[in-house]
Amino acid sequence: MSRLLSKDFLSGVMFIAFGLTALWFGRHLAMGTTVRMGPGYVPHMLAYIMMALGGIIVVVALLTPGEITEAPKWKPITMVTIGIVCFALLFESAGLIPALIVLILIASLGGDEFKLTEVLLNMVVLAILCIIVFKVGLSMNISVIRGVW
Amino acid sequence: MDLLHNLSLGLGVALSFQNLLYALVGCMVGTLIGVLPGIGPVATIAMLLPITFHLPPTAALIMLAGIYYGAQYGGSTTSILVNLPGEASSVVTCLDGYQMARNGRAGAALSISALGSFFAGTVGTIIIVIFAEPLTRMAQKFGPADYCSLMALGLVAAVVLASGSVLKAIAMVFLGLLFGLVGTDVNTGAQRFTFDIPELSDGIDFAPIAMGLFGIAEIVVNLERRMSRSGAIKVTSLWPTRDEARRAWPAVVRGTALGSILGVLPGGGPTLGAFSAYTLEKKLSKTPQIFGKGAVEGVAAPEAANNAAAQTSFIPMLTLGIPSNAVMALMVGAMIIQGIQPGPEVMTKKPDLFWGMIASMWIGNLMLVIINLPMIGMWVKLLTVPYRFLAPAILLFCCIGAYSLQNSTFHVVQVAIFGVLGYIFVRLGCEGAPFLLGLVLGPQMEEYFRRAMLLSRGDPMVFIQRPISLGLLIATAILLVLMALPSIKKAREEAFQEEG
Repeated sequence: MSRLLSKDFLSGVMFIAFGLTALWFGRHLAMGTTVRMGPGYVPHMLAYIMMALGGIIVVVALLTPGEITEAPKWKPITMVTIGIVCFALLFESAGLIPALIVLILIASLGGDEFKLTEVLLNMVVLAILCIIVFKVGLSMNISVIRGVW
Repeated sequence: MDLLHNLSLGLGVALSFQNLLYALVGCMVGTLIGVLPGIGPVATIAMLLPITFHLPPTAALIMLAGIYYGAQYGGSTTSILVNLPGEASSVVTCLDGYQMARNGRAGAALSISALGSFFAGTVGTIIIVIFAEPLTRMAQKFGPADYCSLMALGLVAAVVLASGSVLKAIAMVFLGLLFGLVGTDVNTGAQRFTFDIPELSDGIDFAPIAMGLFGIAEIVVNLERRMSRSGAIKVTSLWPTRDEARRAWPAVVRGTALGSILGVLPGGGPTLGAFSAYTLEKKLSKTPQIFGKGAVEGVAAPEAANNAAAQTSFIPMLTLGIPSNAVMALMVGAMIIQGIQPGPEVMTKKPDLFWGMIASMWIGNLMLVIINLPMIGMWVKLLTVPYRFLAPAILLFCCIGAYSLQNSTFHVVQVAIFGVLGYIFVRLGCEGAPFLLGLVLGPQMEEYFRRAMLLSRGDPMVFIQRPISLGLLIATAILLVLMALPSIKKAREEAFQEEG
């Protein structure tokens, strides 16, 4: 059972999954001939090679003891990802400052220490810095707060 | 004298006010980010890619090179002062550098490392100048089949020398090649893996991938492990004692020589150089027992070696267009974004860019010594800023940087997606570097492969009929077979154990 959770086994599975995905989404691409290769020739070739490699990795992982995958800590990766996505959603629709506030808040929640005053301080400092550098300094075409500045 | 003519051309370009300024800014920003604990040169360059995009090509490359040296220099500083290496090549510096710092010799360790690096950088630059032209001339004789084989060799060699499982690393190369295919097929105009997203029709942008895989993933991993600070150390006198200097300089010379040679090899680069130099010093030393307890040689040699190697690893990239490690892959990516296809044509078609960049490398190295030694106090202060302030700030700049690439929030989302992917790679012990190499070389390799097959009328034998291609393929095969041999496999695993 533990071998099914080893780093090697899981990465082998990942490679096979990527290969299958590529085959599925590339199924309509013409293979062409070896002389005049179609757009699908190289993708298919790569997908098969990758699946073969993934298969070998899986087999080797099952036969030999390997390193167990560390259980991921969900908080940092989830918070960072959500933070970036929120930033992307807010940046154009609401402006730099709202996007910045949300990103810093969410990203700070991802760390193991959270003090509100520190986070607020961080926001203020970074907001001023960003406005000076990007808006004033590099005169980037961005709105600081949508509709206001 | 061609050499002198080239050098003066290069210096002319590099010494223009604008380029000097970009080199300076690059060095400063590179050091600024590189000095942050846990962030190595690859992550630094990846995160700073966007700021160079709006510059003219020469300035952009000069700035990127500056960022690279700055990041490396910053990495050594953190290694010595707080024992937190940013990446593998400065792990060795930690061993004796941090011990020297604990013995109250932090200043000496820093200045030996800086001066040693400068010496090594100078020698490395001279080597590039000497070898660039003959290598380029050789590369111009290559046909499509030869190029394809050369890339195969480059990729395999890079994988073999990268750490961890060879099989997984090769699979990562293929995954990178696959990601490189996304976009419009050059020959037929067909859309491949674009999922009807218009932004993807030009291919996945290189910068968000690099930022996500290396920048974001690294931040997340750093957030996970509680950063325990051993407390930054006070830096007093920067001057090494006479005895320290006497012991350091031969080590610097040896480290430079070793690093220069190893840097040229595909997959070589700074890490291999630093480790080999340290091992060599320990073997040569009359007092091997002091290594690991603050031996001056243990700081001087690896620091010189990694800088020399960092310098000479530009050679395969500049002359053949083959990146030998992740940093060079980033450079290739940046060049392609600037509309320059790396390869032998760069030197003949854009001599001002080529020689200007080489000359600026030396200037960048000089700037680092002049600026950073006096500014060491400021960098030390920066080290005391807690990570919970830094992480959100870095994320914010990454997001704005990604947005600025094409004023599109789609790029920001891409950064997030590749951040998750990068994190999965880290957890599964898959190296990001081979992926990046595959990604960068993918489109070109497919192009050469298809062209070679077209020229040979679909006969794959072309790859073994051309002598150059055959030679390269044999070398690739030998490397692969060597890896499978039990004795070498064991030695290699032991080498990486020591590193980890």
